[in-house]
Amino acid sequence: MSLSCSAILVGIPFLYPFFYQFNLTWAQELCIYMFVWMAKFGAAYGVRTGIHVGVDVIVNMLQPKIQKKVILFGLFCGAFFTFIVGTMGAKFIIGLYPTDQVSPDLELPRWIIFLCVPLGSYLMCFRFLQVAWNYIRTGELPHHDPGHVEGVVESTAAAKDLAAEELADNGGAR
Amino acid sequence: MNSALIFGGLLALMLTGMPISIALGLTVLTFLFVMTTVPIEAVALKLFTGIESFEIMAIPFFILAGNFLTHGGVARRMIRFATTLVGHWYGGLGLAAVMACALFAAISGSSPATVVAIGSILLPAMVQAGYPKRFGAGVIATSGALGILIPPSIVMVLYAVATGGSVALDPTGHRVGSASVAQLFMAGVIPGLILAFLLGMTTFYRAWKGNYPRMAMATWLESLVAFRDSIWGLLLIVLVLGGIYTGLFTPTEAAAVSAVYAFVVAVFVYGDLKLADIPRVLLSSANMSAMILYIITNAVLFSFLMTSEQIPQSITAWATSSGIGQVEFLLFVNVLLLVAGNVMEPSSIVLITAPILFPVAVGLGVHPVHLGILMTVNMEVGLCHPPVGLNLYVASGIARMGITELTVAVWPWLLTMLGFLFVVTYVPELSLWLPRTLGMLY
Repeated sequence: MSLSCSAILVGIPFLYPFFYQFNLTWAQELCIYMFVWMAKFGAAYGVRTGIHVGVDVIVNMLQPKIQKKVILFGLFCGAFFTFIVGTMGAKFIIGLYPTDQVSPDLELPRWIIFLCVPLGSYLMCFRFLQVAWNYIRTGELPHHDPGHVEGVVESTAAAKDLAAEELADNGGAR
Repeated sequence: MNSALIFGGLLALMLTGMPISIALGLTVLTFLFVMTTVPIEAVALKLFTGIESFEIMAIPFFILAGNFLTHGGVARRMIRFATTLVGHWYGGLGLAAVMACALFAAISGSSPATVVAIGSILLPAMVQAGYPKRFGAGVIATSGALGILIPPSIVMVLYAVATGGSVALDPTGHRVGSASVAQLFMAGVIPGLILAFLLGMTTFYRAWKGNYPRMAMATWLESLVAFRDSIWGLLLIVLVLGGIYTGLFTPTEAAAVSAVYAFVVAVFVYGDLKLADIPRVLLSSANMSAMILYIITNAVLFSFLMTSEQIPQSITAWATSSGIGQVEFLLFVNVLLLVAGNVMEPSSIVLITAPILFPVAVGLGVHPVHLGILMTVNMEVGLCHPPVGLNLYVASGIARMGITELTVAVWPWLLTMLGFLFVVTYVPELSLWLPRTLGMLY
C-alpha cells in the first residue's frame, strides 16, 4: 500500500507540466483522482504512523489511569467516525452503481472513482482499532517526529560537541 | 445557542487529544444528526467533493518540494553562505543563524525541521565560539518560524483554500472575493523580509551589548563560492515567485514545477539524496499531505455547518450592532489565534478559524489579503510562544534546555515578533503595498 502511494505521487509532478502544455484534460482529471485516492489511503497510513495530531496539552497532564481511558476514547471515536463515513460512502456507491454515470474526460464509471471513500475510510477504521489494540496491550502509541531531518547528525563538530556534553552530564551526575 | 453547542462540542472533543480532523468530523455529524434536518446525503456529497479542487493540489507538491530539500547538506550550504555575508558583524554567528533559518525555512516549508537542521549544526558551533547557549537557542527557536511567512508557504495556500468558497459582504454591501494564493505570496514578501531584519537587529543589539565574538571577514571569493553553492536551493523561491508574478504558471503549477526542480537539485546537483532515498521522501510527503488533506476534508464539513447555521453572518451582525470596530476585532483575532497557536499546529488553526473570521473581517472592512498575512504572522508567533510552542519543544530537544529556561532565552526575540505582529495588524499597507504596486491587487 505504501508503495502504491509513492508510485502515485511520483508520477504526477513529473508528468503534470507536460499535461498542461498539451492541454490534455483527461490527464488533469487523472491527476486529481490519483490525488484523492492518495489522500484517502494516505490518511489511513497516517493513523499507523501517528501523524494525525490532536491537542494533547490537557491529556498529558492527567493521571496515567485516566489518561489511558481518555486516549482510548479518542481512538474509538476515530474508529467510529471513519466507520460511519465508510458506511455513508458505501451507500453512496451502491446508489451510484446502477446509474452508468461516467467521469467527463476519462469516461471511467464514477462509482469506481468514488470507491476510494469507503475503502480508505474502512481501512482507516481498521488502523484506529489496530492502534487502540496495540495501546491496550503495550501502552505505546505511534509517534510522528516533526523535526526529523536527514543528514544532520553527520556534522562531526555537532557530534563531538554532543558527545562531550553527554560525558560532562554523566560526570556531573556521578 | 446552536453556535455555543457546536463550539463547545468541538472544544470538548479536541481536548481529549483525538486527532483534530476526527474531532471536526464528529462534531458536524453529531450536530446534524441530533439538531437539524439537513439530509446526511448532503454531507456525504461534501466528503467526495471536498478535496477535488485544483488549488489544493499545490499543497502536496509544495510539501514534496520542501521534503526533497530538507536535508542537512542544504542546511550547511545556507549556513556557509549566511556566515560569509554577515559573520564579521557583532553576533556574527547569530545573524548568520537568522539568515540561514529564513532561507532554509522558506525552502523546506517546515519550522520544526528548520530548527533541527540549522540548530543542530549552528548551535554547537556558537557554543564553541563562546556565545552563551541561551542566546543561540533563542535565535534559532524564533528564526525557525520565519518560513511560514516567506513564500512558498503552505499556510497561505490553506488560507486561500479555506476562504475560497465563502461569500462575504463589505461594509458598503458589495461582494468581496477571497484572496488568491498568488496575491498572498506576494503580500508575504515584505513582512517576511522586515521580520527577518528585525530579528537580525535584535540579535545584533544583544550581541553588541554582550560583546559577543565576531568572525574574521570572509573574502569576496569565499562569499562567491558559498553563494554559488547555495544558489540552487535559493532559486526555488525565485522560481515560485517569479513564475507566479510573470503569469507563467498558476500557484499549483508553480508547486508542481518546484517539486520537479527540488528533485533535480537534491539528486543531481547537490547529490544529498540517492535515488534509493526517493521512495522514503515520497512516502513521508504523502503521509504529511494526506494528513493535511484529511483535515481539509473535515474542515470543509465544518464550514458547511457554519454556513448552514449562518454563524459568521450572525457574528457580523452582532459586531456591527454592538459597535465593535476593526481595531477591537483585530485585537480579538490576535488573542484568539495566539491562544490557539499554543495548542494546535498552524494548518488546523487556519482551516478551522479562517472560514469563520473571514466573512466577519470583510464585513468590518478588513482586506482579505491583510487578514491572510495577519493570520500567517500569528501562526508564526504561536509556534515560538511559551508555554507550548512547537518550535520551543524542538529547540529544547536540540539545545538540551528545559522549556522554562528556553522561555527566558527566546524572550527578546519573542517581544520583537509581538511588536511586529502589532504593526502588521494595524498597518495593512505593509502587506498590501507590494501586490498593489505589482498590479496584482486593486
